[in-house]
Amino acid sequence: MSAEPETRPVPGGSPSAPGVHPRPLWSFRPRSDREAGDAVVSNFLLHWFPAKTYKPSLDWTYSFWLGTASAALFFLLVLSGLPLLLLYVPSVERAYGSVKDIEYVVTFGSWIRAVHRIAAHLMVAVVFLHLVRVFLTGAYKNGTGRGQRREWNWVIGVGLIVLTLFLSFTGYLLPWDQLAYWAVTVGTNIASSVPFVGPEMRELLIGGRTIDQATLIRFYVLHVIFLPGAVGALFAYHMWRVRKDGGLAKADRWVLETGKVETPAGRTKTYSLLGVARGTAPAIKATSLQARDLTVNAVNDLVRRAAIVTLGTFAVVSILACFVPSPLEEPANALVTPNPAKAPWYFLWLQEIVTDTTIRIGSFTINGAFLGGVLLPGALLALLTAWPWLDRSSREAAGVWFARDRRRQNLVFLAVVLVVLAFTVVGTFMRGPYWHFYWPWQPWPELPTRI
Amino acid sequence: MTTNPAPAGAPPAPEPAETDNRRDFLMKVGIGAGVVALVGQAGASLRSLVPNVSYDAPTTVKLGLPGDFPDGLKFLPDQRLFVFRDGRTFHAISAVCTHLGCTVRAEALSRTEEKEVAGKPLRITHRFLCPCHGSKYKGDGANESGPAPKPLAWYELSLAADDGQLVVDLAHEVGHDFRLTLA
Repeated sequence: MSAEPETRPVPGGSPSAPGVHPRPLWSFRPRSDREAGDAVVSNFLLHWFPAKTYKPSLDWTYSFWLGTASAALFFLLVLSGLPLLLLYVPSVERAYGSVKDIEYVVTFGSWIRAVHRIAAHLMVAVVFLHLVRVFLTGAYKNGTGRGQRREWNWVIGVGLIVLTLFLSFTGYLLPWDQLAYWAVTVGTNIASSVPFVGPEMRELLIGGRTIDQATLIRFYVLHVIFLPGAVGALFAYHMWRVRKDGGLAKADRWVLETGKVETPAGRTKTYSLLGVARGTAPAIKATSLQARDLTVNAVNDLVRRAAIVTLGTFAVVSILACFVPSPLEEPANALVTPNPAKAPWYFLWLQEIVTDTTIRIGSFTINGAFLGGVLLPGALLALLTAWPWLDRSSREAAGVWFARDRRRQNLVFLAVVLVVLAFTVVGTFMRGPYWHFYWPWQPWPELPTRI
Repeated sequence: MTTNPAPAGAPPAPEPAETDNRRDFLMKVGIGAGVVALVGQAGASLRSLVPNVSYDAPTTVKLGLPGDFPDGLKFLPDQRLFVFRDGRTFHAISAVCTHLGCTVRAEALSRTEEKEVAGKPLRITHRFLCPCHGSKYKGDGANESGPAPKPLAWYELSLAADDGQLVVDLAHEVGHDFRLTLA
């Protein structure tokens, strides 16, 4: 009888029915929009990408892909940290020796350590540049999409840069060399300068009243478990929020530039799962359906660029690690402070600030440790966190470099960035023995390195 | 088959409002118990990280026989301490910077000077410089420039009763008029 439905088996054994495909319908080289969309749905590694992306938001010169590069560096740090985790010994007697072994005895050890160290330095720089980019483009602002919470993603981002700095701090003291020991001394004394609770905080941080084994194991566990775990969790939320907010802020430009109004709320016909679930139609739907020429499939256009950035980052770090050796100072010596004792470059602006902020009002003195080490950075951080709520510019300023609307705040922000950079340069190149100021062309006096 | 919604003899169904109250109450008790348990466990975990015992180095330390100290300054790295001798008179100044705790270094002055410090004469032979943030101290420990908020600490010196060694008490700060003069 011809009325019987066709149940002829297909090669591969799967039944042929609507929506059931005999073979997985995804590929890194999709031949149709359908296949491109299926790739995002079917593949675990691709599931966090949208099906379609607003083409201009992929521009190299809009985001410079700094967020992707940061994520790649973090991934590389986790990977290169794994062998180091097995080679390093977190004990005050053996930490220095084990790092020395990694550097001089273990095959490829110095390269792995260099990869880890260079990636860490680059991550601080790239995460900072990412923050600068997001600020200057007003990308923490909500544009035309519904239910956007970009301001909260900015807050997550501020949390991530703070975690990045803590990761660097806890990382560079693990070798337990002179840099490490005196960095812990100064760092925990800054915590100790907080009125009332300071000394207790320091005791909790270093696990006692003197810097010893309890200190090393605390910072070690923070470095290898708690802080990377926190970065991983916040990073996942950061990415999820980007998707929820309809992509980069630049993606909102489409509605503004074409004069299209967002679809009114309510139960309208919608083609996106998100819209169905909420009973609303997000702007991304309108963009992808109405402006086919302005959108591209995430597979493969977005994936290709993300892969170029990620692999490019890996390549740059791997190659640099072959040529840039990682320093190791003398073993930690509680008896001698190096002269000058300098923090790594990304903390030198803070070292410069704690130098300059001890103020005297009559007989009353405020230690620069508290003013410059706690209050000032704390205020800066609070201001940075709260900025999306202080920014009163129009939504047209979201996702635009140097928007006219935000000119004044961009200038103020750049001024602060310049001050931080200037302090970093002064601390790096113009501070000699006893933290005295020397111009780069002035020779440092010959001083004994030991007392 | 017939159904009887309210069989005879069974207790009357409670009022809906009452049920809600009871469920509400039990829900609150449950959530409350959960919160208390979580806070308690988190608190216990954090408390375990606050040290109960501190294996500090002793604060009273024998430094050696007074006769073994040179005239002028001697730096004792283990105690982070400068001990000064002027004939039969001794005093000790801490080498811990009052700004952020680095060890300051002594720099000999080109010529020594006699000065009244806290009403008593003192021979000043050195000044102190901090390598971390550039604090400067005068020879008596007074903070002169840089971020240091207060003078270097002076500690009490005494003689051990048993063997006559010089003893410092690092838990006992003294004023700048302190001198230990041997007979």
